[in-house]
Amino acid sequence: MTSLRHRMSRYAGMRRFGYASRFGYASRFGYASRFGCALTLFAVMTSGAGARPIAFADGVTIMSEYGAETMREYQAFYAPSYRYSFGAGHLSFKSHIPAGAPGHSHGAPSLTDTEMTHGVTYLRFNYLPKRWNLENAQANIFVWASAGQVRDGTDDLEFAGNVGGQFDYETRRVYASLRTDLHESSFFRHRIDTVQLGVAPYKHDYDTMALWFLVQARQYSGELLHHGTELSALVRLFKRKSWIEAGVTQEGRVQAMLMFNF
Amino acid sequence: MTVRKGLLALLALVATSLASADTIEMTVHGLVCGFCATGVEKTLRKNPATQDVVISLEHRLVAVTTRPGTDIADAALREALQDAGYDVKAIVRTSRTAAAIRQQISSGGG
Repeated sequence: MTSLRHRMSRYAGMRRFGYASRFGYASRFGYASRFGCALTLFAVMTSGAGARPIAFADGVTIMSEYGAETMREYQAFYAPSYRYSFGAGHLSFKSHIPAGAPGHSHGAPSLTDTEMTHGVTYLRFNYLPKRWNLENAQANIFVWASAGQVRDGTDDLEFAGNVGGQFDYETRRVYASLRTDLHESSFFRHRIDTVQLGVAPYKHDYDTMALWFLVQARQYSGELLHHGTELSALVRLFKRKSWIEAGVTQEGRVQAMLMFNF
Repeated sequence: MTVRKGLLALLALVATSLASADTIEMTVHGLVCGFCATGVEKTLRKNPATQDVVISLEHRLVAVTTRPGTDIADAALREALQDAGYDVKAIVRTSRTAAAIRQQISSGGG
């Protein structure tokens, strides 16, 4: 079997690898190496849209995300303490490989366009090292680490790791967060930085529906991803234990998320 | 005799006040997100002495009404709120019912 690094070196010249927006998919520029897919998948799966990864002590959080008919993700976390949580997730993701482009398991180009379905299963640990409970605001610092395996429809599994952190500040009218994720494996390293800013047209209370309008900017950088910025507009609704969020990127890709706390 | 009657009346009044003071109202900081605050209610309702919980982000208020004849110690309340990720700044015992608190909150008072 061709070694991992050998296969990677064959694709080394294909730098024009399409990046995957939060809910987009690989091959924007026509190429989708299997390793790029792994990288992209991991980027997608760990770049949550501002949701906090820790609920409360003895709390369970489940999340489901959908993106542009190409991606579905499910996550579940348990928090033994308000300070940390752990959980797992699974991401199903489609990538498009144009005719003639490498990307199949044995490296041979296909004569026709091909769509591949990938599966990523991962474990994640989240930690809250600092929280500020102010009179009319709250601020947090979260950090996390993930490890996953990617299966792309063949028998090969690839491993990638992720560490990240987030700072957020909110009142009942404004929300701001800054997040960074570093993704790394033996053959790639890249970073995704995300800024979210939100405003609420009215102050919600515990028994009323919360409504938020947010804008998000995401910057991609690293060895394989396309360098660039992706902009999104989001609408967020939540009440008690239920949260729904939907938005669209500058390219018109729709995304949606459901989240529940128990 | 008059002094004794007065003392007895005073003792009865204090006992009555204590018996009816079954609502604990806490001023809490960091209460800005209803979704996140569901942990407060969940944590407090685990206590067998809890009869009802009222939360108001507007008033930074978490109120617990206890079952007749029961009480929850301040330390236990602070720990419960901390487990939920919040800080308690003040604890006051009152005789307001949960319904009265909700009514006042919805009418803009509190």
